[in-house]
Amino acid sequence: MSGNESKFSSELVAKVNELWKRYPHKKAALIPAMHLIQAERDGWFSDETVADTAALFGLPDMHVRGVVGFYDMFHSEPVGRHVVRLCKTLSCKLRGADGLIQHVNERYGVKNGETTQDGCFTFKHFECLGHCANAPMMLVDDEKHLDLTADKLDSVLGGLS
Amino acid sequence: MIQETRAMLEFADDPKQIELATYRKNGGYDAFEKALKEMSPDDVTQEVLKSGLRGRGGAGFPTGRKWQFVPKGNDKPKYIAVNADESEPGTCKDRVIMEQDPHQMLEGTLLAAYAVGATTAYIYIRGEFQKSIRIVEDAIDEARAANLIGKNILGTDFSCDIWVHPGAGAYICGEETALLTSLEGNRGYPRIKPPFPAVEGLWRCPTVVNNVETMACVTQILRRGGDWFAGLGCEGSTGTRLFCLSGHLKRPGVYELECSTDFTLRDVIEQIGGGTLSGAPIQGVMPGGSSFPVLRADELDCGFDIESVAKAGSSLGSGAIMVFDDTVNVRDVVLNISEFYSHESCGQCTPCREGSDWVRRMLKKFQTDGPDEGDIATLMDVTDKMDGTTICALAVAIVWPVQSFLKKYPEAFAEKVTA
Amino acid sequence: MSDNGHVTLTIDGKEATVPAGINVIEAAKQVGIEVPHYCYHPRLSVVGNCRVCLCEIEGVGQLQIGCNTLVRDGMVVNTTNERVSRMREGVMEFLLINHPLDCTICDQAGECKLQDYAVDHGSGITRFEFDKGKKPKNISWGDRVVFDAERCILCTRCVRFLDEIAGTDEISIDHRGEKSQLVVRGDGKLTSPYQMNIIDLCPVGALTSRDFRFKSRVWFMKFTPTIDTSDARGCNVVAGTRDNRMLRMVPRYNPNVNDYWMSDHGRLHYAFVNDEDRIVMPTAGGKPAPYPVALSRAQAVLEGARDEGILCVASSYMTNEELFALKGVCDALGVEDRYFLLPMGEGDDLLIHPEKAPNARGCRLAGFRDAPDDWSSQEFGALLYVKPRELIELPAEVIERCKKKVVFSLTKHASDVNIPLTTWVEKDGTMVSAGDRVQCVRQGMVYEPTLLTERVVLDRLHTLLDPAFKGASTAVLAFQRMADEHPALDGLTWLSVGLLGAKLNKAEALA
Repeated sequence: MSGNESKFSSELVAKVNELWKRYPHKKAALIPAMHLIQAERDGWFSDETVADTAALFGLPDMHVRGVVGFYDMFHSEPVGRHVVRLCKTLSCKLRGADGLIQHVNERYGVKNGETTQDGCFTFKHFECLGHCANAPMMLVDDEKHLDLTADKLDSVLGGLS
Repeated sequence: MIQETRAMLEFADDPKQIELATYRKNGGYDAFEKALKEMSPDDVTQEVLKSGLRGRGGAGFPTGRKWQFVPKGNDKPKYIAVNADESEPGTCKDRVIMEQDPHQMLEGTLLAAYAVGATTAYIYIRGEFQKSIRIVEDAIDEARAANLIGKNILGTDFSCDIWVHPGAGAYICGEETALLTSLEGNRGYPRIKPPFPAVEGLWRCPTVVNNVETMACVTQILRRGGDWFAGLGCEGSTGTRLFCLSGHLKRPGVYELECSTDFTLRDVIEQIGGGTLSGAPIQGVMPGGSSFPVLRADELDCGFDIESVAKAGSSLGSGAIMVFDDTVNVRDVVLNISEFYSHESCGQCTPCREGSDWVRRMLKKFQTDGPDEGDIATLMDVTDKMDGTTICALAVAIVWPVQSFLKKYPEAFAEKVTA
Repeated sequence: MSDNGHVTLTIDGKEATVPAGINVIEAAKQVGIEVPHYCYHPRLSVVGNCRVCLCEIEGVGQLQIGCNTLVRDGMVVNTTNERVSRMREGVMEFLLINHPLDCTICDQAGECKLQDYAVDHGSGITRFEFDKGKKPKNISWGDRVVFDAERCILCTRCVRFLDEIAGTDEISIDHRGEKSQLVVRGDGKLTSPYQMNIIDLCPVGALTSRDFRFKSRVWFMKFTPTIDTSDARGCNVVAGTRDNRMLRMVPRYNPNVNDYWMSDHGRLHYAFVNDEDRIVMPTAGGKPAPYPVALSRAQAVLEGARDEGILCVASSYMTNEELFALKGVCDALGVEDRYFLLPMGEGDDLLIHPEKAPNARGCRLAGFRDAPDDWSSQEFGALLYVKPRELIELPAEVIERCKKKVVFSLTKHASDVNIPLTTWVEKDGTMVSAGDRVQCVRQGMVYEPTLLTERVVLDRLHTLLDPAFKGASTAVLAFQRMADEHPALDGLTWLSVGLLGAKLNKAEALA
């Protein structure tokens, strides 16, 4: 499928075209492209987005769906305006991640995988996010917040809109 | 007192080190330029072999030997894949290189590409590391503009492109064959070996997969010489290494240290990590990421090098030293570890797919209720049957820590939990 | 390396000399040792995920999977020692912890590799004390395949078949780890005309046939090696029958014809066998008549029509033996106009053949000509017509131009004499498939004990016409007589045709 038939924005298609040049086979650009696509399509892969992605790459739908299902950063359900990923693995656990999880559950009324009622953010327990020396930590969308305390967490989440 | 030996991190505190001009001012790319103009590809490999460098991803395979597995005189294109999917619990060092001195990794990558004849390199960075991705991409752009990456680099015949390839959240993609499968645009399933990646990797072409820190070491080795590197640390653990100290420590952080048999793992924890934050006694240490056996507090007086820690029954693995004190229940610790690996099992192999979750459920029961009679023996037997029966090492990454916790803290698993 | 590209290795103490380049599973098979396996299939890529084929290779530290271990000269393999058995028992236990163990209501029971290997290699007990994982059951993947996610062991044979053989890429795995589950693209319905092969490939009860489900336990059935007669490919099959009704067909391995596969169309092409409307007794003048009465009437009709001419139209569903019997009748009557009807349709590059009947080549071999597109307006004294089972019929006006009619048919057909047909699962015989390959059909059932096969009926008619003629007593003897007479079959015997068929011994323009 050529770019101008695509259901994605021309900016996105242009970026994907650039990605394709990096690999001997277009398919290799799938995961990098899916990050862009997910961002353009409200943060998740609906069946329609899966089909559009597959069409863009000339791949079977189910290949894209299988990829969505395999990787934790791709969502197959709608998410809030922001995605909050709180690390729960050992180093963060030892520095109080469990308490922060409980704090989020109580203060914001969301458990793992749930979205706040106002649609502001989706809360996810995540496995090791690679900032073990600054535990506990979380990612809010792409931004990292280190050496978290409940107060620090509140000031970050309180500032989201 | 143990001191840091800063080679890789020499300039890491300078915020301008991520810029090409600063990196070059500090001697960056000189080694690469010299290699291109004065050394043969084989000379580069020989220098790395001489250094004794072992891969810094966790398995510790000699880097120069890995490069030598790449078949010569083969028409297929060759690739480098830099493993920046840093996901082993406790490990946070590759990110430091990428965010604070990215050119050092790129220079090592170019040197590796030159050594094995690769024309394209991909830096597979875990998708959660958006900051690393931005910084490395900027660094690549700058280097490309300066003709350090791309066609006919610095006027020579050597051409090599480098691209960042973001992952999307799957620990298993740090396993080298899964990384390749993922990079090709698939679910990140590890591949059966043989064939090994050096012979058939990306798109069935020879591919070298090296860790970020390994690439930074290559830069240091070619800059300062294989002999210099081999003179640091100790036999079998040459050079400097980045260690990630985390958990219940006073001074968690990433430190560049030489390995040594003259001081102990305990010394590092005490002197570098500052001991426990609470002052409570250490209960246990995972010395190389959570996929290796735990060491009890009385097992920390081993030398601080690969061999000594192996003799003590564990591994320096990825250099992630996680310390927990006696305020935490070891049942919680081992359950947390099992949750990680069962979540991250790709689901291909029967023993790992089914076994990792079974293990997690048993440990959950142990945590909440305590084991029934026979449960410990069952768990040991089940984990035995996951050991060495799968395509990749993820299954043993749950087996080893779990078995070690059961063996080393029998009192914690001895009885039912009373309400 | 031994000579001629062979290697010699030792498997469980047995020395085996096998072709270089094969894996340990195949090598073991050659010396009669079965290494259990689920994900491995000789025609699919090796993925090595089930882990049940673990073997010990002496000198190699870890156990190795037999599917991905190629034989080497001097290799020593243990497939059953204590270490291997313990680990294999472990794999079986892992496979079963989340398996529903619903064998009592599972259609796969009796031909389930999970059952077989659990008996052969399992421990017989479970130590799993938690609730089994819940996954969707009874999911319709269209009108042919039913999926049960709880029974699935994720061997991915179905995924690979549709990717690598059928080329439709329709199944994928969603999620990962123990949550992994097969999904079908789009609306969740399979589209491949070969999709039912995944039912055979599925080693467990995760994929079952909508058509065959719950019809019978396989251990009550009779299985007969025969061929698919839905088109000229002649895919080798096993026909499954019970109580003289046909219940299913599954492909039978033949590397020269269909490998391990068959089309869904062929597999499902048998409903007419069990049709309640089939006739089981001849009629003469519209009234039921025993065979001798009906045949006497047929003799009278045909002999009376000699002067005005007889039109004989054969069916490309007939066996060679039947066609030669019909040829004998035609010869005795001096019939000149001998044709056969052949339905045509779409074909593909894999197995589906455009000729939608199995034996046009046999018709030509017996001297019948392809029916013309436009029949002449010639009138005949009689029609001797073996009616094809479906898809094609002699045009009504051609039938009308014949004054009298002797018709062989499966269901009632207006005629002076109507004789019941039998289907290919009710008789022995041979056919000539695409590629001029002679293949056997074999009797697996009788629809009704009083039915006579066409060959017997035609031979009896021949004897009425020419008392000197004596038919062969069995199809095997009929084949031999035919082979003795016809140069294209010269030298072939029933046994040499055997289960896998044989090429005609010299090129005949039969296609």
